[in-house]
Amino acid sequence: MSPPAPDPPSERSIKVVAYVLGGVVASATIAAIVVVPQAARFHAKGPPNTGHDALACADCHKDAPGTMREQLQAKVQFWLGLRATDAAFGHVPVGNEQCTGCHARDQDSHPVHRFLEPRFSEARAELGAESCASCHREHKGVRVTMILTACATCHQNLEVKRDPLDVSHRELVARKEWTSCLGCHDFHGNHNRVIQTRVDAAYPTSTIIDYLAGGPSPYGRDMKYPTKRGAQ
Amino acid sequence: MLAPTPQNPKGVVRKTALWSGILAVAAIYLFATRPEPLVDSRTSERSVPVEKVFRILAAENATMRTLWTAEIVSAGMKAGLRFDEKWRDPAVAAGPLPALFLRESATALQKTRVPLGLFLGSDYPIAQSNLFTGEQAERFKRVRATGTPEFFNATDIGRYTAMFADVAVAPGCVSCHNGHPNSPKTDWKLKDIMGATTWSYPKDKVTIEEALQIIAALRSGFAAAYGGYLTKAATFEKPPEVGERWPRDGYYLPTRETFMREFERRASANTVDRLLQAFE
Repeated sequence: MSPPAPDPPSERSIKVVAYVLGGVVASATIAAIVVVPQAARFHAKGPPNTGHDALACADCHKDAPGTMREQLQAKVQFWLGLRATDAAFGHVPVGNEQCTGCHARDQDSHPVHRFLEPRFSEARAELGAESCASCHREHKGVRVTMILTACATCHQNLEVKRDPLDVSHRELVARKEWTSCLGCHDFHGNHNRVIQTRVDAAYPTSTIIDYLAGGPSPYGRDMKYPTKRGAQ
Repeated sequence: MLAPTPQNPKGVVRKTALWSGILAVAAIYLFATRPEPLVDSRTSERSVPVEKVFRILAAENATMRTLWTAEIVSAGMKAGLRFDEKWRDPAVAAGPLPALFLRESATALQKTRVPLGLFLGSDYPIAQSNLFTGEQAERFKRVRATGTPEFFNATDIGRYTAMFADVAVAPGCVSCHNGHPNSPKTDWKLKDIMGATTWSYPKDKVTIEEALQIIAALRSGFAAAYGGYLTKAATFEKPPEVGERWPRDGYYLPTRETFMREFERRASANTVDRLLQAFE
């Protein structure tokens, strides 16, 4: 079988011009999406979480130190064993510091740093409790992404000596009523409110699920430590 | 240059040359005429085991614990000040007990950029959430038996860890824990090892600059914790006078600067000595 005849010169030129033009338009579009702040939603992983709508990408995604070339070189050296530490490329991974920068509290009933104590290994392994993002995965368009029964990981042996609740905490644990915890307890304890002392006064599970999904707060809006941007 | 042959047709030669060129450019980009490399924090300066810094921190903490317990809590109670576990409650006109002052310091520490962890726990804690479990419980048995610190690598979090005995330094420690309705142990005595402070840091070795940053972070945590108490004290129905005088002089509290100056007077010589020994 003979090979197909090559395109005549004029057709080839048109093709080349078309390829070049296509490449330029595609590159310009990609560059515009990446660079223009208003286009951020096109390349974000998903919608911002509850209360984060007004944040700019750069509020959390900080530039990594060095030029792109320095970062690449550092990475290659790390892969080859010529450097002890890896280097971030493009942006520094978002960590707890970015969260606590706005959500700073002098008091927190479950501060994330607490889970870095060795004895909380189970909470780290099962829940990733040492990282804010384990419960609040960003770009999901909700408030909380953790399952409702997560309290079970640490509080299986819970016993309150002078239990103020009409049904003892020990009994609730025995009944495995883990979906009821947040009906009385705001996880971070950041709301000025009186905790219920009757189980039937607890907020229904459906209300809590709605709250975690971004709905209204059953705990009220009176925060002990409001965020810098006033998120609830 | 390779010449086209029946075994090595023209197209293959071109492709080989093209890829060789790309690889050469990549190699130059990545290796040759390279710009100033990014600083590798692990190898840039002389460093010492973090264990030595943990010992300095534990000594600083012991000094602060004594200062807080004796000069603020014990003397303050005699002068009419109150200290309570629910001191954060706006309705409770009180300050933090020693263990809570340490927790306040640990929380404030997290606001610094220094990744130092500080925790307080026990095998007989008043709050169940402070009960040692797992490896910490095993290590604490040895701390209790010997009174000497334990050092280990908590591999799952990649943190080098130290546990130091937390001793009942004042009668108030014993009486408060023995009398507390939630205390699982009520026969504590003065000088007993009541628990342990746990310190953690993500690197096994630190430079002198890092060591200084760590110590400075702890001190800023202490200062912030005391500042929090002064803020609360200002809300008391009868606020104590804040100035140069101390509770031993009456219903007074030292300013944050006075308080920290006294701490520095007590702690700094020892810290400088230990630093010089560590890095000599």
